[in-house]
Amino acid sequence: MVCSLGIEGSANKIGVGIIRDGEVLANVRRTYITPPGEGFLPNATAKHHREVILTLVQESLKEAKIKPADLDVVCYTKGPGMAPPLLVGAIVARTLALLWEKPLMGVNHCIGHIEMGRHITGAQNPIILYVSGGNTQVIAYSNKKYRIFGETIDIAVGNCLDRFARILKLPNDPSPGYNIEQMAKNGSKYIKLPYVVKGMDVSFSGILSHIEELADPTKNPNKRKKTQEAESPETKPADLCFSLQETIFAMLVEITERAMAHCGSNEVLIVGGVGCNERLQKMMEIMCEERGGKLFATDERYCIDNGLMIAHAGAEMFKSGTRMPFEESFVTQRYRTDEVLVTWRDD
Amino acid sequence: MPQISAKPYESTLRLPFDTQGLAEIAYRVLSVDKEPRRNFVQKTLSLELDVLVVHFYADQVKNLRTAISSFFEALLLCQDTIKQFGNAVAVEPAEAQEENNAGAQSSTDSA
Repeated sequence: MVCSLGIEGSANKIGVGIIRDGEVLANVRRTYITPPGEGFLPNATAKHHREVILTLVQESLKEAKIKPADLDVVCYTKGPGMAPPLLVGAIVARTLALLWEKPLMGVNHCIGHIEMGRHITGAQNPIILYVSGGNTQVIAYSNKKYRIFGETIDIAVGNCLDRFARILKLPNDPSPGYNIEQMAKNGSKYIKLPYVVKGMDVSFSGILSHIEELADPTKNPNKRKKTQEAESPETKPADLCFSLQETIFAMLVEITERAMAHCGSNEVLIVGGVGCNERLQKMMEIMCEERGGKLFATDERYCIDNGLMIAHAGAEMFKSGTRMPFEESFVTQRYRTDEVLVTWRDD
Repeated sequence: MPQISAKPYESTLRLPFDTQGLAEIAYRVLSVDKEPRRNFVQKTLSLELDVLVVHFYADQVKNLRTAISSFFEALLLCQDTIKQFGNAVAVEPAEAQEENNAGAQSSTDSA
């Protein structure tokens, strides 16, 4: 039986989770919310995390009704992510591991998402679409590694949504993506946007620039085209949100479908913060049904960054015999999904 | 740019802890992170019984300041963790310092 505590803090969420032998004991989280129109900056985010992290550790132990002595391993996010917030989690995890005399385990953030999604949904060997504010990847497991089949060649899909929300001055509470999703429900007119799939990869930065100009034509006077006026005398923000979602989610569904065909898989698992978007889930579900496949998705407790996924992935690593020397408990901003040797899967 | 000093700037911090054990914990926790390469600061940590000694060398005062202040952020977090969880066997330490949160906007959700 492995009881594991995990700390996640790679972006604007800080979370602590406790899991014992697959049973969820605690999963608490705080989000650093910036004013509308503003993103979160590394040092300010780290400051927020420092202020709440110890309270969260207390809360998680209380909720789980366990004592530190009951734990077998302390896990933290090693990367990828922004260095200052990552460091907050790492320093607390290191200190706790030494105080409680427990082994310490650094976990890849993406692996955390994948393993949590598999655990919650029970998907066996799915094609994984990992979509969040910092990552966009289509992943399949093969030969002890999670292989990246396709990914974004510039910004992440969540970053595209977040930044468009900033242009519209939508609030960041509870999350910019959620507010775009709500606004899109009032949109009906499809405005044509660039559709950028390059082989198995996707690109979002061009779409973002394009839709930014549509949303606020005064900002970019360098356009020689007059088509904007002809095309859209007035573009409603709701229609833009609707069109943006339809376009970028269609791109994601396309590359996911191609990965399914390539691997002969009929399961899809969506993980990551954008994964709780119901429109994306719906579109993916239609594609899966047409192929006779099955979609697995989770709700915001497990989709959005959380400490539990780090605890769970760390526990899997620990169970399979992986150990990390204390001296290697650094953090790293770049840490690819396919760098991790998957010691806990035998298929 | 005229050079003000050819010698490196230095700073030594001496940080005592209640016990040798706690000093060693802080030493191990804070030794892991290396200085960023582009910062041109050398940081060495050592232990003198219950005192953690940190020495900084830097080419520029500005870099020295950056290195020291980020070291302090890490040290304070480590100290706070020790304060709250140091005597792990004890039941529940007082509710964490909520007053620190002033200024930061934060939304709660527990699953």
